[in-house]
Amino acid sequence: MNQHNLQIETQFRPEVLERVLRLTRHRGFRVDDMEMSTSVDCQKLNIRVTVSSERPIQLLSRQLEKLMDVTRVEAQLLEQRLKKTA
Amino acid sequence: MPLYDALYDGGVEHLLCRHEQAAALGAVGYARASGQVGVCMATSGPGATNLITGLADAMLDSIPVVAITGQVPMAAIGTDAFQEVDVLGMSLSCTKHSYLVERAEDLGAIIAEAFEVASSGRPGPVLIDVPKNVQVALVEPKPLGTSSVEPEPLDEVGIAAARALLAAAEKPILYVGGGVGMASAEAELRAFAAASQIPSVTTLKGIGTLEPDDELFLGMLGMHGTKAANLAVQQCDLLLVVGARFDDRVTGKLDAFAVNAKVIHLDKDAAEFGKVRHAQVGIASELKAVLPALTLGELQIDDWRQRCLALKAQHPWRYDHPGDNIFAPLMLKQLSEALDDGAMVSCDVGQHQMWVAQHMRFTSPRNHLSSSGLGTMGFGLPAAIGAKLARPGDESVLVSGDGSFMMNVQELGTLKRAQLPVKMVLLDNQRLGMVRQWQELFFDGRYSETILTDNPDFVALAAAFNIPGETITRKAEVAPAIQRMLAADTAYLLHVRISAEDNVWPLVPPGVANDQMMEDQA
Repeated sequence: MNQHNLQIETQFRPEVLERVLRLTRHRGFRVDDMEMSTSVDCQKLNIRVTVSSERPIQLLSRQLEKLMDVTRVEAQLLEQRLKKTA
Repeated sequence: MPLYDALYDGGVEHLLCRHEQAAALGAVGYARASGQVGVCMATSGPGATNLITGLADAMLDSIPVVAITGQVPMAAIGTDAFQEVDVLGMSLSCTKHSYLVERAEDLGAIIAEAFEVASSGRPGPVLIDVPKNVQVALVEPKPLGTSSVEPEPLDEVGIAAARALLAAAEKPILYVGGGVGMASAEAELRAFAAASQIPSVTTLKGIGTLEPDDELFLGMLGMHGTKAANLAVQQCDLLLVVGARFDDRVTGKLDAFAVNAKVIHLDKDAAEFGKVRHAQVGIASELKAVLPALTLGELQIDDWRQRCLALKAQHPWRYDHPGDNIFAPLMLKQLSEALDDGAMVSCDVGQHQMWVAQHMRFTSPRNHLSSSGLGTMGFGLPAAIGAKLARPGDESVLVSGDGSFMMNVQELGTLKRAQLPVKMVLLDNQRLGMVRQWQELFFDGRYSETILTDNPDFVALAAAFNIPGETITRKAEVAPAIQRMLAADTAYLLHVRISAEDNVWPLVPPGVANDQMMEDQA
């Protein structure tokens, strides 16, 4: 089981969080932690979500990239990040 | 209602279907036959929920459809108003994208964007939910900006790697899916296949994409594919996958599928690379552009070609069938020979669908309308109606089964209303035949809920809609009945009684490799 952080930047839409979370569940990833913030002009959302799965993270990130409102997806293996900051 | 009131003034061709699911599937049929975006509309609440199956069908087969649904006024959303349902929420899993139009002034731009999203990239269904207050609002029409997308540069590194793999391969196979037809890249694919002289196979949705009479074309692969296609794929050392996605009905037991093959995967959608099977090279480009760039000329694989030709020669279709009862594979072959190359054949889901794929000849993927990914029983009749609307000059033939036909049988009313000469061949074994086959083979012959001896009188049912028809039961009746059906200038129902015991062969049983095909023991 790998754990990853995903940084997802999207256009603001009321349903965009649902889209992201639905896709995450459907593609076989568990949400362990998340936070969300809106840009000052309320036009953009930044979503950070920590997910875990046996499946490669690309299976999720590439699907997220296809969502029309999503403008950027960045995935980071959490263990490596922890090693770097330690 | 305000929207339909506007339609009363004319200017938009509209066909009333008798169930919203059929409206969505009709839009799918229109889109598949024409290559254009199909459009359907439904009212709020149950109208919108009924659309969902058709949208899911379009999603799984990447078909460009725009669905427009009515919604209660914005102020009433979330109050459990009459015929209110969260259509946007329901759409998330069965559309490529969806909109709730909150402001009337956004409607024009949203509609334009919806058509662009539906038809660009990997195509798919898009839903626009329009609240009533938006429908009745008056706005000044705004000119829409035109957008032009610069073609992406080709992935030269990927192409070089793919060319190297192709040049080194001793036993390559070209594995073709529905993405080629969706990208209108059939000519480029055929040119590549002809120049390379590479043995080829196709998926269910890819049928018609390759030249059907090419001697190196081995037919459909997968669960009900040809033995030659499956054996060749299992033995190959390189799979060149074009617009296909390693569906489980194609691969059989995944970790036993083409185990010695490296993979070059060409697809518009990069999310398909590595989703099911690792690809040594994945190139996400327009297929029309990448196929010519991959062409190396004739590959030096003479031994492999001879092996593939031998496999094809060893495993031809057999049409010998004892007795007087009609043998569906032979009948469909006769039907195919009686149709011209422009004819469109829509089918439903089950045994007859596989027999159509196996025994009818297609020269274009736009002529073979088969619900592949979702496997939607009830697809055929509305799809055949949509296809006829798209291409009125071409014959639209439905091949259905008695189980599937009943699932959207109300659309006989739509046929009558539009006076569309759709020709219907109903293969009736008084069974849910494919399920019955699996019960026979894998469930000890326990025929749970698959015996349909209480079917209606189908010819009388058609007659109730002023549609002529006839029933045939014997082999000798087939050819003249096909001629009568095709000569009719109206819709026609050819009701064909077949044996309940005829199965679809060959068959890769669940959980085994594709070279372990079961065959008819008769």
